[in-house]
Amino acid sequence: MVPPLEPGAPTDLELMERIQARDDDALAQLYDRYNGILKALILRVIHNEAEADDLLQEIFMEIWNQAKNFSAQKGKPLGWMVTLARRRAIDGLRKKQAYARAEERLQNETEQQPDAWVHNATEDEIVLGDTRALIRKVISRLPPAQQQAIDLAFFKGMSQREIAAKTNTPLGTVKTRLELGLKKIYDGLKDLRDEL
Amino acid sequence: MNFERFQNQSRLYVIGALEPEETEEFEKARKKFGKKGEDFIAKCYDLHEAFALSLRPAKSSDTIKERLMAMVKAKKEP
Repeated sequence: MVPPLEPGAPTDLELMERIQARDDDALAQLYDRYNGILKALILRVIHNEAEADDLLQEIFMEIWNQAKNFSAQKGKPLGWMVTLARRRAIDGLRKKQAYARAEERLQNETEQQPDAWVHNATEDEIVLGDTRALIRKVISRLPPAQQQAIDLAFFKGMSQREIAAKTNTPLGTVKTRLELGLKKIYDGLKDLRDEL
Repeated sequence: MNFERFQNQSRLYVIGALEPEETEEFEKARKKFGKKGEDFIAKCYDLHEAFALSLRPAKSSDTIKERLMAMVKAKKEP
């Protein structure tokens, strides 16, 4: 699912192996390749540019420090980095006093545009066959309530109970929305992998 | 727990959305399904990658990379 690389460019796995061998140029290349994606992920969680930049730097430092723990048998480099970045961003959100302010902003977003997560997918992008647009297309096909439940769980680290309280929805309904939504995305990704 | 239920729970597990009371049952099923279960969980982590790729990339401050690489070089020095 990773966007295609320029011909001759090292794969993510090759870069990770070089980082494990303490090659800082490989880290610089990995940064160039993925800083935009990881920054977007962090921003989606904490909604603050300066804090997101600081966290991005800390996350790439952690990638450097923890590279020895990466195993290709357990998954792909981008998945590992995203998991790490998400955890750090959610930890940061919870630790900071700004949590209350973020909650307020989230409340407004939740009330105003529950489907804002992937609203920017366009037919033009999909026609271009861009992997990112195809993923957005899979997600944007979900009913808004399922998108919202997944958004709150993944990007805000909320439990099912917290989502139920936040959206004033029965717990069982939240569980169903999450299960159905995640299954649809998982199945959509499987089809996407088969196409690529 | 049958495998279909385990698959649903695995997808919740990887995004951290299993409730505490579901975790114990999930861990039992995880042991029961062994490698087949672990392979499925590993595939579920692709959801993380997909969620990140669904976002429009954001521009970072130009100084971040410089600061990062300076820290890495300093750490490499004996």
